[in-house]
Amino acid sequence: MAPKPIASPVPDALYPTLSLVMLAIGLVVTASFFIYEATSTRQNRCLAKELITGAVASVFLGFGSLFLLLASGVYV
Amino acid sequence: MRRRIEMGFRLDLLVFTLAVLTAPALSDLIISKVDRRIDLTSQIVRITSTLKVENAGSEVVSEVLLAFPEVQAKNLAHLVATTSDGKGKVKSSAVSLPIKVVNPKGMPAALIFYAVSLPKGLGKGDSFTFDVFAVFTHALRPFPEKITQADIQLVVFQDSAHYLTPYIVKVQSLSVKLPEARIESYTKIENTKIHGSEIKYGPYENLPSFSYSPIVAHFESNQPFAVAEELVREIEISHWGNVQITEHYKLVHGGAQSKGEFSRLDFQARPSIRGASAFRNLLARLPPRAHSVYYRDEIGNISTSNLRSDSKKTELLIEPRYPMFGGWKTAFTIGYGLPLNDFLFASEGKRFLNITFGSPMNELIIDILIVKVVLPEGSTDISVSAPFPIEQSQETKVSHLDIAGRPVAVLQKTNVVPELNQYFQVHYKFNSLSMLREPLMLIVGFFCLFVAGIVCMHVDMSISKSSPSYLARLQWEEVLATIQQVQNIVNRCLTTHDKLEASLRDLSRTGDVQACKATRKSADALLKEVSKELKPLLAFLQSSSTAAQILPKVEELVTKEKELQEKVMAKHSTVVDCYEKKTGVRDIESRIALQQLKITALRQEVDNLLDIIDEI
Repeated sequence: MAPKPIASPVPDALYPTLSLVMLAIGLVVTASFFIYEATSTRQNRCLAKELITGAVASVFLGFGSLFLLLASGVYV
Repeated sequence: MRRRIEMGFRLDLLVFTLAVLTAPALSDLIISKVDRRIDLTSQIVRITSTLKVENAGSEVVSEVLLAFPEVQAKNLAHLVATTSDGKGKVKSSAVSLPIKVVNPKGMPAALIFYAVSLPKGLGKGDSFTFDVFAVFTHALRPFPEKITQADIQLVVFQDSAHYLTPYIVKVQSLSVKLPEARIESYTKIENTKIHGSEIKYGPYENLPSFSYSPIVAHFESNQPFAVAEELVREIEISHWGNVQITEHYKLVHGGAQSKGEFSRLDFQARPSIRGASAFRNLLARLPPRAHSVYYRDEIGNISTSNLRSDSKKTELLIEPRYPMFGGWKTAFTIGYGLPLNDFLFASEGKRFLNITFGSPMNELIIDILIVKVVLPEGSTDISVSAPFPIEQSQETKVSHLDIAGRPVAVLQKTNVVPELNQYFQVHYKFNSLSMLREPLMLIVGFFCLFVAGIVCMHVDMSISKSSPSYLARLQWEEVLATIQQVQNIVNRCLTTHDKLEASLRDLSRTGDVQACKATRKSADALLKEVSKELKPLLAFLQSSSTAAQILPKVEELVTKEKELQEKVMAKHSTVVDCYEKKTGVRDIESRIALQQLKITALRQEVDNLLDIIDEI
């Protein structure tokens, strides 16, 4: 079996776009999370909804910031 | 310096006498022809010898010994023996022969022996031709040892005109290639010729074993004597698509020491006269597609560099902060990134990195070379294969987004010349899922922030749980929550109304009375449920003193909504009735026109009220 070159799972050229898109989505979800936190009162606040919004936002922010690091040359 | 040279001579004499005294008790090999070419054009001394050995005895011989004086052997950086398969002029692919250090008995102690294993044993009368290529560092000694800025640099090289070997040599010759510059002096013995910058000794015939005839060449050499006292190369692999190389150089000019003062003005005005021995720049040949190249030292970026690249190579020309004179030192770092798929490969379930060992710098001697291969976190089963012996060890390095640190394979070698810039491999096992460690860490980090936010909002931080203001706030929050619920209910009612309207539109289009009735039924059930839900909320608001201010508005909202609900229902019943009686469309429209007006007005009021309550 001849050696096969290994490349990145995501093409390098996509890093800036991906980071921009994912960070934008992440920040929008974050904003909605904080709007929810600020507007809902203690009685009718739903913990599951908060956690789900937080989780979705952190997934997008996490991958977005990873791609931002990669795009700016910090190869983790 | 002079004393050192004399010492060298004395040592050589000693070797010579020893050689004469100890009779060769070796196999009956004879070297029928030796051609030696010594290349002194750079600071690195390269000696190529072509040997033709012949077996004069009856026993089969499978090894040929090469002898080097101890003084020389300690500077030996690289030694290979190759033989070309093709007979005659066409030199096909060279096959390298294995070489090992041996210590045969009864040999002069001042000599170091290497044994070259022949591909097959030599029988009686057989002959075999092979090339020996030896590279020496620090073999050129500056003489004088100290020069001023204006002086040229003179160096001394010494060797033997006769090939030092434990065998009898029939015919031999030697040529010494010097740089195209002044030759101060050279040893003249019989059969010495000079041709331009090339000195030829020989041919000499029928010399006994261990014959030695010292020669010395003293000549000008202004080649860059760049010596890296220590070079640390760090190769960091990221499976996200990059091989990052960082090289930390501690460079010194290894030629004649500079003495007296240095005048920048003189140097700048006439660099070829006032600073001939200095070197200004270094050329690094980086692999193709190198990117993000930088050149800096401890105080920051050094702007005097030049990068040229094409599809085959990337050339980086760097200039130290000051011209390098003899003995002057500088320390700097260069770094560059390389595409992963040029250097990392997968084979048989393992991954391996295939990259060159030495420095990309031109004609650089490295005293101590440390190569650190930083593998991604989670790599296991690390093994290194290199074409030459190297010291190996392992360590861990903690870098960006690491938990346990990354495994590092550390390779160390002393006395490295450009010839050792060969490919080596680092094999390791890596699970692709481990790549998700870094993003997972970031995700967990962000999630912790959100959880902290949630906790902050949920925890009651007030100190006094019985103060009136605190209680008032609690009550007010409760009221707000109730009002929000009321709003939600009203909104649900409004969407139900919209649904009913939509069903009417469907009816006018399709004439399906049954579907419309079904919608009405479900809407009725929903509204009934909603009004049940609404009751306790309103009761609470009425009982609460804090809600007194806002109560009228809420009550108004509820009544208006009820009214609206009735109107909508009435309109719906009318239209459905009309359809069942098959009344004309125009007739229906005229009947519900008045109702429609009221509905619109009420809807507007309800919306206004909702807005007002929203603002509270």
